[in-house]
Amino acid sequence: MAALVLGVRRTLALGARAFLTVAPKASASGVSQKFIHTKQWSGSQRSSLLVSNQTTDLKRFYSGGPPLSLELIRDRVLLVLKLFDKINPEKLTVDSHFINDLGLDSLDHVEIIMAIEDEFGFEIPDGDAEKLARPADIIRYVADREDIYE
Amino acid sequence: MATNTPFEVISHTRKVCSLYKRMTRNLQAYYHDRARFRYEATLLRAEFDKHKDEKDMIKATRLLKKAEQDLYANLHYQPIKFPSSPGGVAYDRNAIIPDDALDFWDPVEKAFYPKYFALREQRKKEYMELWQKKYGKVDPKQYEEHH
Repeated sequence: MAALVLGVRRTLALGARAFLTVAPKASASGVSQKFIHTKQWSGSQRSSLLVSNQTTDLKRFYSGGPPLSLELIRDRVLLVLKLFDKINPEKLTVDSHFINDLGLDSLDHVEIIMAIEDEFGFEIPDGDAEKLARPADIIRYVADREDIYE
Repeated sequence: MATNTPFEVISHTRKVCSLYKRMTRNLQAYYHDRARFRYEATLLRAEFDKHKDEKDMIKATRLLKKAEQDLYANLHYQPIKFPSSPGGVAYDRNAIIPDDALDFWDPVEKAFYPKYFALREQRKKEYMELWQKKYGKVDPKQYEEHH
């Protein structure tokens, strides 16, 4: 017991001496230490740590989906349709009817719907799918599902 | 509630389309290699196209039934599901709270967001005006007697 007390006292003394030398540094860097993980770099603020500007707009996105807008959805839908082998990409517009204008049959339409499902990662039920007769309808449907209005 | 009661008439075309889609998805579950899957899918499509111009409905229905049985016999044991569709990993993950739940907030809670709720009241008023313009004016007191 006595040895333990002695040991504790000795470590305390050592600690106190260490504290004396370390304390000013610790207190000076304490504030920045506390906020270092939560601080956001704003664009105007420059730090010597930042090598490239790329790190200035770092944000945590966790598992958020890809950014979508109506133009992005339109471009993605049209790209999928242009790469579809039975569609002539020169004749394709947003308002061309798959069956009447582009000369596809109902099974081709099913294939298109499956390609769109794979592109956007959600299932389109049969009842909805048969109403999607034009690229514009598909864009509208995807945007409505993802809650995008502009 | 699982039920087999048909709620709408489903045309033969739509049944065939649905079958084609399910069969293709089934193939996709079996063949992970894209090239192999495309090969099998093309064969499947050729099989469908062979009976494309079948005029005899009895024969067509029989073909459809046989294909359904074939599909059922060859179903994959672990089919690919989209995350948000039934059976997917994220199905029903996020509850969609109905918008009118906001109307049941306590006035104290509402007072924390004055700007939003002022706009909300304004929008509700506009919606009521729109409704009355479309369906005619209704006196709310008529309905109060019932409750």
